[in-house]
Amino acid sequence: MSTELVQLFPVLRELKRSEKLYVIQFLVSELAQAETELIQPGVAYPVWSPYDAFEAAETMLKALAEAKGE
Amino acid sequence: MPNAQRYPFVAADSILGEASLRPYLPLTLIGRGQTTVTAGLLDTGAAVNVLPFRVGIELGEVWEQQTMKLQLTGNLAQYEARLLLVSAIVDPFPPVRLAFAWTEAEQIPLLLGQVNFFLEFNVCFYRSQLMFEVTPKG
Repeated sequence: MSTELVQLFPVLRELKRSEKLYVIQFLVSELAQAETELIQPGVAYPVWSPYDAFEAAETMLKALAEAKGE
Repeated sequence: MPNAQRYPFVAADSILGEASLRPYLPLTLIGRGQTTVTAGLLDTGAAVNVLPFRVGIELGEVWEQQTMKLQLTGNLAQYEARLLLVSAIVDPFPPVRLAFAWTEAEQIPLLLGQVNFFLEFNVCFYRSQLMFEVTPKG
């Protein structure tokens, strides 16, 4: 736990109930915003995974088996 | 995992920051008398290993001599791919033989997929800790 956080707890404890709820709301909002920023609008994210190239996978497995037998 | 080797996630794009962190595994590939030190993206969703065209050339391989054609899917379907078997060393583990779909595509990372990287190595991801562990198959 950071020093700043340790110093913050006594301050938070002294807050009124409504202020504590406001702090909770603020933190939830901050976390949600941070998650959103991980994926930027208008940016291209290419996906190259040949995720269902099963025929290629089978061919490669056979080639490996043959090479092992040589 | 016993004898596991740990590696950090690395940023693929300095502007995107955390959104671009990827599990790139350093490895050495040994081709026809040529060796290249590179990094492969651990891609559990990829059915096969994929080798970008330039890396095959760095290994001294000749495209025309690889006669076994492979059909890839997704964005890679538009590029011709051919089978290539190479030796690979993931330090400090013993060398293994990896089969690659050597693609004519240039702008992709080297992909380490189910056939046959994940048949040779066990991998455990700790994304929240920005690292992953690799061990050879038992």
